[in-house]
Amino acid sequence: MAGLAAVNIKKEKIDEPRPSVSTVNDDGRSEAEIEARMLELLHQFPKGISNQILDTDMPTVDKQIKVTILNKLMSKEKVSMFKAAGTQELFWCLKSHPTSRIKGADNEERVVLGLIEEAGNKGIWTKDIRIKSSLSQATLNKVLKALEGKKVIKSVSSVSAAKKKVYMLFNLQPDRSITGGSWYSDNEFESELVDLLNHQCYRMLLQKAEVAKQKQNDGPFTVRNSSFLSSKEICQVISDLKIVKFNLTVEDIETILDTLVFEGKVEKSTTSDGNCDGQVKTYRTVEKPVSSASIVRMPCGVCPVMKKCGNVGAIQPKDCNYYGEWDD
Amino acid sequence: MSSYTYTLSPFSQVCRLLMNNYFGEIVGQVGENLLRRGNRSLFDIKTGTGMSLWDVKRALAVLIHHNIVTFQASDRNPNIAEYSLIPHNAYCILRYPKYLYTIKRIYGSSEEVLIEILLNIGQASASDVIFQSANRLNEAIDDVKVLNPSALYQSFQKLAADNFIIRCSKIEKNAFVENVPKLLELKEEEKFIVPQLEMEPIAKLLREKATQLGEHSDSEVIWRVNHQRFDVELRNVILVNAAARRVDAAAGELYHLILKLWREACPVEARTSNGVSHSLIKDAVRKNDGGSPLLMEHFDQYLRVLYEDSTCLISRTGDSGGGQFAVNYADVFENLACAILDSVVLERFGSKALRIFRLTRMQKFIDQDQMQNLAMIPAKDAKMFSYKLMEENYLQIKELKKGTSNVGPVKSFNLFYVDLPQVVRTVLEMSYKSLFNAIARQTHDLTANKLLLEKHAWMENMLERLRGEDTPDDLLADLSESTMTAADKSLVAKIHKLSDNLTLGQSQADETILILESYLKFHFMA
Repeated sequence: MAGLAAVNIKKEKIDEPRPSVSTVNDDGRSEAEIEARMLELLHQFPKGISNQILDTDMPTVDKQIKVTILNKLMSKEKVSMFKAAGTQELFWCLKSHPTSRIKGADNEERVVLGLIEEAGNKGIWTKDIRIKSSLSQATLNKVLKALEGKKVIKSVSSVSAAKKKVYMLFNLQPDRSITGGSWYSDNEFESELVDLLNHQCYRMLLQKAEVAKQKQNDGPFTVRNSSFLSSKEICQVISDLKIVKFNLTVEDIETILDTLVFEGKVEKSTTSDGNCDGQVKTYRTVEKPVSSASIVRMPCGVCPVMKKCGNVGAIQPKDCNYYGEWDD
Repeated sequence: MSSYTYTLSPFSQVCRLLMNNYFGEIVGQVGENLLRRGNRSLFDIKTGTGMSLWDVKRALAVLIHHNIVTFQASDRNPNIAEYSLIPHNAYCILRYPKYLYTIKRIYGSSEEVLIEILLNIGQASASDVIFQSANRLNEAIDDVKVLNPSALYQSFQKLAADNFIIRCSKIEKNAFVENVPKLLELKEEEKFIVPQLEMEPIAKLLREKATQLGEHSDSEVIWRVNHQRFDVELRNVILVNAAARRVDAAAGELYHLILKLWREACPVEARTSNGVSHSLIKDAVRKNDGGSPLLMEHFDQYLRVLYEDSTCLISRTGDSGGGQFAVNYADVFENLACAILDSVVLERFGSKALRIFRLTRMQKFIDQDQMQNLAMIPAKDAKMFSYKLMEENYLQIKELKKGTSNVGPVKSFNLFYVDLPQVVRTVLEMSYKSLFNAIARQTHDLTANKLLLEKHAWMENMLERLRGEDTPDDLLADLSESTMTAADKSLVAKIHKLSDNLTLGQSQADETILILESYLKFHFMA
């Protein structure tokens, strides 16, 4: 459903008179056959089929019949119709989980389920369901409980607000914004894991830079270029180390590498790789242009009571304890 | 010392201490009065300090002689002179050891002596400086041989040609008609021209072991040390080190050569240097004897690595002549100042806070949620660090209001950002204070334990002398034990160690100050 984000979700039935069911077409196919072909097409294009696709696939079939079949599919809730945002073109798309599949669902359950389904993997908050469905709190709770009992929907708590529960279809993988991505487990940020990977990546880059330094005789250009490691390579090595239990993606490791960039230890650069599929992010360690600010090497640089220090008063440089303990 | 010292800014306090330590209490007090009050007449200073007129006059003379105080006729009464202090020149006292080291590194020890003498006197004619330096050098070598002063004359000319020394302003011809003499600024091209000098009379005086120079031809042409030029040189050292740290030593060497070319192309201080062509740089590298062979071999690579580096040490400004290369000092010093701020944040608040600080700086404006997501820091910690940084003025907050309705709640965003000049000023102020503390502590330790230290020095001298006379070791040990107790000795060792640390700390704090000051200077330069 994510692919339809830019699409105006607007269902409208086309008011066309229904021709009789038994019509047989010019090319001899029955309506049932066309319907089967259409479903096949819908499976083939999970993002939806437009009129154009239908025309090229079955040029001989009458427009009327196509409309009829589509309407039928829609009334069976197998297919939904959308209007493309820019072109205003209509297109049809397979409904992934037809709500009708749930047996014994009453009207209220169906409405609530419809709302939850629409929310996709981002989930929907109870309050929003209540407002949109105009059900009372008590009824809604009953319905939600029933649906949860049937394992049709599930509740997920969001990382941004621990107490805010959202509902989504049972078989959906919650969105990153809900779970917080790979670095959260049970809504807890795994800060140790992030720190560990941060160190590991840095160590790898350092080693690479050490090796690169040995090539000094080939010129600084070689030294610089061979100190780079691409995020893909780093991802591969880290995955092989089996530090993380889940499947580590390149994007995941890039977020870790970015933290190193923010710490100023590493620089990011992009190069194109050989396979013309665009840019590869590469990283290398860099030295700071100045050695650590000299004043922080003095006790004053890190003194917690610096502001209270002066020529008069309790804290004075002439009898400061930090100087007394200063051993470099 | 006066009881209201706390009203001075840390920078002024440093200047006051430096003058106090370098020239003594009397001059220090006059200097402090000028620091505090700005333009003052002689009698104002007398009343302000409560010192005798004679003392004040002498102190002012010393300060004027060292180019720390200037004077001009008062606006209200042209018959009265008003004195004012040049704080930067007072601050430069701290850099004198660095000046000497710089000169020794570039030229050698005889030039170092020239500068040392000139710094000691404040201002003097070329003959005078050469004469005194020759005397000093003669003392060091054996008495039989007498040094030829013409070598020193050449050294003096070299120093002038490289602008390390500069001519003082002349006194206007009709100065003595008016009550307050006016100083006439020399023309730019005259400032560094050494008059033709006869070395024979000086050599003769040296042979006669004279201590005074007496009358000489160029007594009207007075020289002093050019602080601005030394600032540039010290700054260049920092830049060369930066290049060496970023790439390697050979890159530092290349950068040193290019800096020289830039200075020749554009001697006046500006935000950006003039462009220097590729071929010119290559020429300079070729002519540089004793340079690294790597540099010659991979010249193009080194140049490219340097101008592709993110610290903006070199920027490519054009393609003519194989490429034009210039430096934008504002950009370079912004990067250096950022590196300084980073290490301050790192040491004071830790690496997570540094992540937040740098992230905010890179993103210009950032809101709390985005910050914790990108920096990968748990929400609670991210909040704590960002508020802490804000409390200490490293981060600032900008509130953005959505909608302007007067009724009902208005949604607003709080975005964090870094106001770099402001943060730099905060850290600069902190550096001045650290510097002040270090000097104050050192002065205090050395004066409070003066007797003990003198005793220790006396004892060491004596032991050294006895050791030369082959006195047995056990007798020496006995002697040393009887003159000073072990506790005293360890105290002396501790004081010496702390004092060494403090001296080092002062020079390091000065480096930080130079970088931060340069950033502010170039940033606000038109």
